Amino acid sequence: MGKITYTKLKGSQNMRQRLLLATLKSTPILIEDIHADDTLPGLRPHEISLLHLFEKLTDDCVVEINETGTKLKYKPGIIVGGSNMVHDCGLTRAIGYFLEPLILLGLFSRKPLAIILKGITNDSKDPSVDTFRSTTFPMLKHFGVPSEGLKLEIKSRGVSPHGGGEVHLSIPNVQQLTATMWTDEGMVKRIRGEAFTTRVSPQLGNEMIYAARGIFNSLLPDVYIASDYRKRLETGSGNSPGYGISLVAETTSGCCISADTTISYTRGEEAEDIEGEDKKEMIPAADVGERIASVLLEEIEKGGVVDSTHQGLLFLLCALCPKDVSKVRVGKLSPYGIETLRQIKDLLDVQFVIKPDPSTGTVILKCWGSGMKNLSRKTT
Amino acid sequence: MAMDSGTGEQSHRAHRSRHSGASAKKKAKDKNKDQNSDQKQQNPKAFAFRSNAKAKRLQSRAVEKEQRRLHLPVMDRSYGELPPFVVVVQGPPQVGKSLLIKTLVKHYTKHNLPEVRGPITIVSGKQRRLQFVECPNDINGMIDAAKFADLALLLIDGSYGFEMETFEFLNILQVHGFPKVMGVLTHLDKFKDVKKLKKTKQRLKHRFWTEIYDGAKLFYLSGLIHGKYPKREIHNLARFISVMKFPPLSWRTSHPYILIDRFEDVTPPERVQMNNKCDRNVTLYGYLRGCNLKKGTKVHIAGVGDFSLAGVTGLTDPCPLPSAAKKKGLRDKEKLFYAPMSGLGDLLYDKDAVYININDHLVQYSKVDEMGGTTHKGNKWDVGEALVKSLQNIKNPIDEKLEKSKISLFSQNPNNSLEAEGRKMDSDEAPKLIRDIEPLVRYQSDGEEDDSEFDEESADSDMDDSKSSDQDEGVQEDATQKSEGRNFDEGNADASERLGRVMEQVEFHSGRKRRKAIFGDGVDHRNLKGTDEENEGDKHDEDDEDGSGEGTESCSGSEFSDGDNEDLKSDDDGMGNISKWRASLVERASKKQNINLMQLVYGKSSSTSNASVNEVQDDSENEESDDDEFFKPKGQKAKNLKEGLDGENINTEDCSKSTNFSELKNWKEEEVYESVRDRFTTGDWSKGALRNQMLEARTEEDDQDGDFEDVETGDKFGSHKEDDSSNGGIRKEDDDATEERRLKKLALRAKFDSHYDGSEAPEEETDIQHGGKFHRSQENDSGYYDKLKEEIELQKQINIAELEDLDETTRLEIEGFRTGMYLRLEVHDVPFEMIEYFDPCHPILVGGIGLGEENVGYMQTRLKRHRWHKKVLKARDPIIVSIGWRRYQTTPVYAIEDQNGRHRMLKYTPEHMHCLAMFWGPLAPPKTGVLAVQSLSNNQAGFRIIATAYILEFNHAARIVKKIKLVGYPCKIFKKTALIKDMFTSDLEVARFEGAAIRTVSGIRGQVKKAAKEEIGNLPKRKGGQPREGIARCSFEDRILMSDIVFLRAWTQVEVPQFYNPLTTSLQPREKTWQGMKTVAELRREHNLAVPVNKDSLYKPIERKQRKFNPLVIPKALQADLPFESKPKNIPHRKRPLLEDRRAVVMEPHERKVHALVQHLQLIRNDKMKKRKLKEEQKRKEVETQRAKDEQVLRKRRREERQERYREQDKLKKKMRRHAEG
Repeated sequence: MGKITYTKLKGSQNMRQRLLLATLKSTPILIEDIHADDTLPGLRPHEISLLHLFEKLTDDCVVEINETGTKLKYKPGIIVGGSNMVHDCGLTRAIGYFLEPLILLGLFSRKPLAIILKGITNDSKDPSVDTFRSTTFPMLKHFGVPSEGLKLEIKSRGVSPHGGGEVHLSIPNVQQLTATMWTDEGMVKRIRGEAFTTRVSPQLGNEMIYAARGIFNSLLPDVYIASDYRKRLETGSGNSPGYGISLVAETTSGCCISADTTISYTRGEEAEDIEGEDKKEMIPAADVGERIASVLLEEIEKGGVVDSTHQGLLFLLCALCPKDVSKVRVGKLSPYGIETLRQIKDLLDVQFVIKPDPSTGTVILKCWGSGMKNLSRKTT
Repeated sequence: MAMDSGTGEQSHRAHRSRHSGASAKKKAKDKNKDQNSDQKQQNPKAFAFRSNAKAKRLQSRAVEKEQRRLHLPVMDRSYGELPPFVVVVQGPPQVGKSLLIKTLVKHYTKHNLPEVRGPITIVSGKQRRLQFVECPNDINGMIDAAKFADLALLLIDGSYGFEMETFEFLNILQVHGFPKVMGVLTHLDKFKDVKKLKKTKQRLKHRFWTEIYDGAKLFYLSGLIHGKYPKREIHNLARFISVMKFPPLSWRTSHPYILIDRFEDVTPPERVQMNNKCDRNVTLYGYLRGCNLKKGTKVHIAGVGDFSLAGVTGLTDPCPLPSAAKKKGLRDKEKLFYAPMSGLGDLLYDKDAVYININDHLVQYSKVDEMGGTTHKGNKWDVGEALVKSLQNIKNPIDEKLEKSKISLFSQNPNNSLEAEGRKMDSDEAPKLIRDIEPLVRYQSDGEEDDSEFDEESADSDMDDSKSSDQDEGVQEDATQKSEGRNFDEGNADASERLGRVMEQVEFHSGRKRRKAIFGDGVDHRNLKGTDEENEGDKHDEDDEDGSGEGTESCSGSEFSDGDNEDLKSDDDGMGNISKWRASLVERASKKQNINLMQLVYGKSSSTSNASVNEVQDDSENEESDDDEFFKPKGQKAKNLKEGLDGENINTEDCSKSTNFSELKNWKEEEVYESVRDRFTTGDWSKGALRNQMLEARTEEDDQDGDFEDVETGDKFGSHKEDDSSNGGIRKEDDDATEERRLKKLALRAKFDSHYDGSEAPEEETDIQHGGKFHRSQENDSGYYDKLKEEIELQKQINIAELEDLDETTRLEIEGFRTGMYLRLEVHDVPFEMIEYFDPCHPILVGGIGLGEENVGYMQTRLKRHRWHKKVLKARDPIIVSIGWRRYQTTPVYAIEDQNGRHRMLKYTPEHMHCLAMFWGPLAPPKTGVLAVQSLSNNQAGFRIIATAYILEFNHAARIVKKIKLVGYPCKIFKKTALIKDMFTSDLEVARFEGAAIRTVSGIRGQVKKAAKEEIGNLPKRKGGQPREGIARCSFEDRILMSDIVFLRAWTQVEVPQFYNPLTTSLQPREKTWQGMKTVAELRREHNLAVPVNKDSLYKPIERKQRKFNPLVIPKALQADLPFESKPKNIPHRKRPLLEDRRAVVMEPHERKVHALVQHLQLIRNDKMKKRKLKEEQKRKEVETQRAKDEQVLRKRRREERQERYREQDKLKKKMRRHAEG
């Protein structure tokens, strides 16, 4: 009775998916060698924050970390969810990092989830909250998630060094997802976006928008980029200055392809590690706009029903479907997507059939869902 | 249903109605009756509706009834061939169960079955197989049988009537999803009196109907003829069984399960010899039912426990359906049956040996060979050879296996199927095999370095991707890669040429990683193509020659790879994982080209996942490897650990975004942005649309072309981009093909739908077949229900279509083994008792465990005590529950939900109500049925099922509370504050309860304030006494008395015991009753202990002392302030009367006179009054008598008058009547 067999894993890679899948499948996992060879061994602050978040959402989950923080035992509990929760995501990673697993947890929780997340809303490393609102939520619709309960409000924007952002997220819970045949990528019919500035001149935002539009002009007339300028703390500006832009291309078949970026000062210690970050600060707003427009065009060129950022989530959703065949088309497999596929195979025992479609340079993935059901929901 | 689909075209013989005889007469009578009834309806208006409201009500009721009839459509996820339907024959002992099975088997197969042991599979029709199982006579057997039964035949002794077993079994069936049930009455020949027989039948039938539903089928077997049931009746019964439809049951469609019809111990004999009681390895055989089984699934063996499968292999069907050629009925040769445990069919199964029975069943062998002949075209054997072959086919593997298993086990290969190796090692074929393997080995050796390099490199390339150090090259690289990828897809240009090219590239791009990775595979593949093709061919030939059950492709895939793996392992032990990975690569590469991407993704990770699994399985090995690692240089260690993945990679940052700003193209240039023009609505729509259609067309092509060997297709792909226009024609053709296929699919679907409902009009069907209408959904979606059905059907068709595209091996990996497959499961480390006490009469049920069902936790169920169970259930008394596949003993705590949502504990279950029961055990999904029994012994008089329930939810924490009353006494009372003692034991406890509401017996409410200061509460301390803790200062709404008792009412959490005990009934002799935890009552009875009685709880006559109240004292000050009226005026009694009272009064003479006069006058007046009263009385009496007289006279007169009147009326009436008659 009392003996627990742990599935052993190594390294801190894909911590999010591992924890997520372990929780959904309720299998205990044991992760060893977490940043074991680094100068600062052990779990990173954002990983600890993630564990806290999991603890908050689940009932009776047990997390054991050894002294150095290089070994983690995780015994998942039942996903409870609920409202009136607050989580401080810390300042090492953006809220986007936490949102990805949080969405899936919320779907399979006992009660609908409503949570306030605090921290960095926009970051260059993780998808921004705008992207979640504009791209990820429409994506869930394809898997039978009702759009009524899905909500993400940005109360204030916080960027890199000092954060101070706040978003209100609510996710409905479902009995089960529905399998999808989602291979029609359609043609891009409009491009939308949102440019924001916090604690800097709104002129920068206008420059970004102008530059981005300049790229699209020759391709599509229907481009509209909204602006969200927050100057003072009362208007929700967060604690540090920065600006960024997120773009979404909507296609005729209802796919959303997104690209986003944020420019801000980086934290002191990180700046030492990565020289590239310093350079980034020098980028003028007009260049940012142009670049992000180019990134979006590249994503469009790659094809697929989602952009490369959302591949992981897409595969997870497919794997969590009932025992039906799901079929999706993506562009070039991103490294993250590949890692996700491996994690899904290891932890969920779902394998994808991956077929390249050479004529379009896309990849078609098929899978037989794991038959996941929301068991914690109470029956009447 | 399946039967019909096969013979849909054929015309049935028309029904001929009878023109003479009893039935014709009856029909005529009925007709007459109908006509009569029509005539009788004289007033049709009376039945027309008058009230709007009533009509509405009736209508709504009808609609409601209609809706209640509907069930939520369930998706049937079985795509394979249907497994045999399980017919469980159940009944009390001596009712004729085995005889029924024997006669049915005889009816179907013309074979006499000497003994019914274990499941018996027979082919009953062209599309249908049946598996007969006799239900054992104990409650465990009944529970298990109910879980796998598709049809339950309830045998009832007609001469005796219903017995408890039948009802128990019905209850069990109902809890575990209600399969089809048919009653069979036997022993009817014991009735001599026909009338009595008829009445009994009627009575039993109605009782049966109340239990199931009105009109449930009850079959009568009238008696025995030559010790068998009459042929005609059995024929009818068989017909009923053959047309029965089996609705999907929700638990079973979501869990794979196997009813074991063959069971073997494959433990190496040495191990058994060394220790007779060592854990055994067993193999279990049976048809897969329910849903698909994946290789990693854990299983529960009923009565034994949970196990992970050490190996699963698909075998050829031992009792296959006849070939689908169009003909009526079954030929005799096709009337197969399979019952290895019963000692019939082709095998006699014994505990430790298998006997082959030849003389009786030659027929079957020749049949098998015929089948084989059809499948293996081109191999023309003569009859004798075929016979021998077929004999080899079936028998050899089994006893060989028994021998070989030990060999392979000693070579320490824990996770593979033994047979394949066994056969490969086989003596006569060994040389050939070695020859076959040679190229592989050679390849392995030179592939070694390649491989390791490639791993590193691929890792680097991953890193590169993220960092994008060489962005300039990136684009080109991509492009070239693509072209190469295409080359792969061709996969058919002649090998030598390409080999040259590849080599060149390998040399050229020595620094480039990813490409090489692909080509590494490519080399694999190509090298193999030359060699392996032969291998494949050879192997297949061998397989064919062996022709054993394992010979088919479906299973050979896994075995094949494992086998190779094994072979390679002998060459290099250290690189076990690599070789495994490689082997699977080799194997897959030979299958199809376009799985390359899958290899990229999974080929590597499979090794890691295996590693992790190994680690989990045995720690000792893990430690060893750790030791090894300790002495290795770091880099090497990392490499070895993660062959596929790069060592440093394990701690990569977790980022879903991977955009590189540095390698962006200049999208301002025209040729650059024109390249994506067609992805926009402003571009060429037809090209954009083609992009999406391409896929279907391509898959179509793939399907048509089959292998990649085709040269043409490759060329075609090459030219795709260059000139789309030239390919337009081809694509159109493809489109046509897809269109045609869609048509076909839709037609099939329509047929299926109409078949299922029987409501669809036939014209529609034909319309669809003509291809007139596609969108049936829009045509006739009469409601939500139909829409749901439509969706489900569509999803199913999609699934089938998508899975058809895959080749067998991949499909197996993706969806697992399909239902209806005959599987061989290997399970390791089974307790030896399972072998020792194995009894074929108790079939083994192996059920797959779903997601999260192996975890334990608290389950909350909604439970109702069975109304036939005589006692209520006590909380914490152990009960045995059956949930899902499992049976276990657990200790529930009962509760009821209060209005505010609180779960209040109950000591006993309520009498006629549902209650909540919380218990600890392996989790089962909500809505699963639960059945509870108290003890398993067979000699119980009463009804053994004590309760039924279903699961509401599960938690990790129990949330049941019970009421607790803390009692205290005042020790000091101030005005409205009092110090209460004895309620709490410590000041800490008081602190915990601060603010809690309290109440005295007299109803004065109050609140706990704080722990009392010692000085106030505990005076003795100052005097040197012991300070007393736990005195609380409480305030009340009024002053309380010292005699008051103070209560604090609170709720306390109730612990639900974390206890569950799986029933291991298969691990002990069957006749012994399983004994688990005993109930308190049983223990008391055993130890002869009395029920402990709390004296305080006993009822005693209540004695109440007369209460003495102290006099009311009003304080003087208060009294003084009162107004005069309110002041108390009761002057106290004096001992001596006051002076005024004591004084005598002496009247004056005048006064005396007056006084006397007054007295006289009063006397006179009184006298007068008295007289007047008397007079009045007399007068009244006179009047009354007079009135009474008058009354009497009056009454007399009235009566006379009345008499007169009646007489006259009567006369008048008579006159009238006479008049009328006249």
